[in-house]
Amino acid sequence: MALKLEHVSYVYGADTELAVRALDDICLEIPEGQFIGLIGHTGSGKSTLVQHLNGLIEPTEGTITYCGRNIWEKDFPKKELRSQVGLVFQYPEHQLFEVDVFSDVCFGPKNLGLPKEEIQERAKRALELVGIPEEYYKQSPFELSGGQKRRVAIAGVLAMQPKILVLDEPTAGLDPRGRDEILSQVAHLKKETGISVVLVSHSMEDVANYVERIVVMNQGRILYDDTPSAVFGHVKELEEVGLAAPQVTYILHRLKENGFDVDVKATTIDEARDTILKAMREEREC
Amino acid sequence: MLREITLGQYYQTQSVLHKMDSRVKLVATLVYIVSLFVVNNFWGYLLAAAFLALCIILSHVPFRFMIKGMKSILFLMLFAVVLNLFLTPGEPVIRIWKLKITDAGILLAAKMAIRLTLLIIGSSLMTLTTTPNHLTDGLESLLSPLKRLKVPVHEVAMMMSIALRFIPILLEETDKIMKAQIARGADFDSGNLLQKAKAMVPLLVPLFIAAFRRANDLAMAMEARCYRGGEGRTKMKPLIYRRRDYIAYGVVFVYLAASIVIGRLLPI
Repeated sequence: MALKLEHVSYVYGADTELAVRALDDICLEIPEGQFIGLIGHTGSGKSTLVQHLNGLIEPTEGTITYCGRNIWEKDFPKKELRSQVGLVFQYPEHQLFEVDVFSDVCFGPKNLGLPKEEIQERAKRALELVGIPEEYYKQSPFELSGGQKRRVAIAGVLAMQPKILVLDEPTAGLDPRGRDEILSQVAHLKKETGISVVLVSHSMEDVANYVERIVVMNQGRILYDDTPSAVFGHVKELEEVGLAAPQVTYILHRLKENGFDVDVKATTIDEARDTILKAMREEREC
Repeated sequence: MLREITLGQYYQTQSVLHKMDSRVKLVATLVYIVSLFVVNNFWGYLLAAAFLALCIILSHVPFRFMIKGMKSILFLMLFAVVLNLFLTPGEPVIRIWKLKITDAGILLAAKMAIRLTLLIIGSSLMTLTTTPNHLTDGLESLLSPLKRLKVPVHEVAMMMSIALRFIPILLEETDKIMKAQIARGADFDSGNLLQKAKAMVPLLVPLFIAAFRRANDLAMAMEARCYRGGEGRTKMKPLIYRRRDYIAYGVVFVYLAASIVIGRLLPI
């Protein structure tokens, strides 16, 4: 059930003077049940890449296969692919259009041609997953707060019950609290449903705490594809491409330089706390 | 998917036509259109075509860009040609069932086709060589005498430039919303007319909301910078006639005179 990209390239405006190579020879595999962070700074090709994952744009070169079938084969069921690979765009709240929250979430499953009971079942479940309580169901989506709107929009994609959920900068434009809410909601959802999640972001801080694998993009190419601790080992290189490692990584490196025996591979705040406490304890014992 | 629309597109080069005062280009386009309707024989059209060809060469804009704009009005042109072909009274040349094509009809249809082609290429040359901002600046300056008649010239020009500025933004927005809804399983292509119209709702509602949001933001930003209309407003790049602009005016009016003489007085 894996989505596989092989040597995928994409060129914007292919036969004009303004041709831009947005993706260059991308090889990527998204297996079942993995939490992946896709990171790169603005213009690195992240958004172009995610639009390839559910067949919204056709690669200029290379192939994309889902469950072993080329998705650009002539009679490949695109609609089914799009329900299996749910894509949440940047600022997804801008796509809300229905009269109330519940019907908007129903839009996706309705398009799949499911029976009415199942549609409502799925919508309810999706709204529960993103933590929108029932009293909001009949409200207009335009009356909600920014964070709530975004969660409703994410529910709109979740209601199609995708196997892979792709979120393009889900925290853009939210305050720190809204950001933490969305991210922990996504992590909770990942745990609850066991689906694969691809979290696109330009902030290491955002993803470091949650993902098990990080893909770093730069100028349309994949720079690193590894576990967080391995990727954050390349602090210098990350800075060169306009990214930064999480703050805890910097602190741990500095402590290490100053003679503390800490584990610099820690990526989350909790892990960092543990290794620092351990190092301090050892220091005292000496 | 919506990138092909070239309406009012600007093509950047460093040609004489690009550097020319936008007022000259506006007047020249107007004069050119007038000349196309004054001229009544093929010698006149030949002159008009030659003049346009010269301008195109001077502009350094690739010819295929001009042709691109033609595709969109192909239908309109065909319509005009066919109507003229069949509905002009005169000596019948070919009869098809109840319809007849007359010699006068062929002549008129051919003239119409030439006229429309030249007209569209001519006016698209103006938009290709002039940025929307310069265009509205030029229009504002040319229409400024109307201010005495209490016509809000500056406001109209400002609205025009904002509208032009928003075309690409809204196109991009449409593209984004469309993709987002397709990702939710929406289908914009299949179904009958009614189903297709219904399928547009998930696209149009967010699009209108986006347009209002942007308009609101823009109004706020303009007010924050103390915009209060045209009264006493100075320009960063005021329009000033230079030597080449006067020469261009001369060339344009010589062309007009020549096309009246040739296009009206010579036979056929």
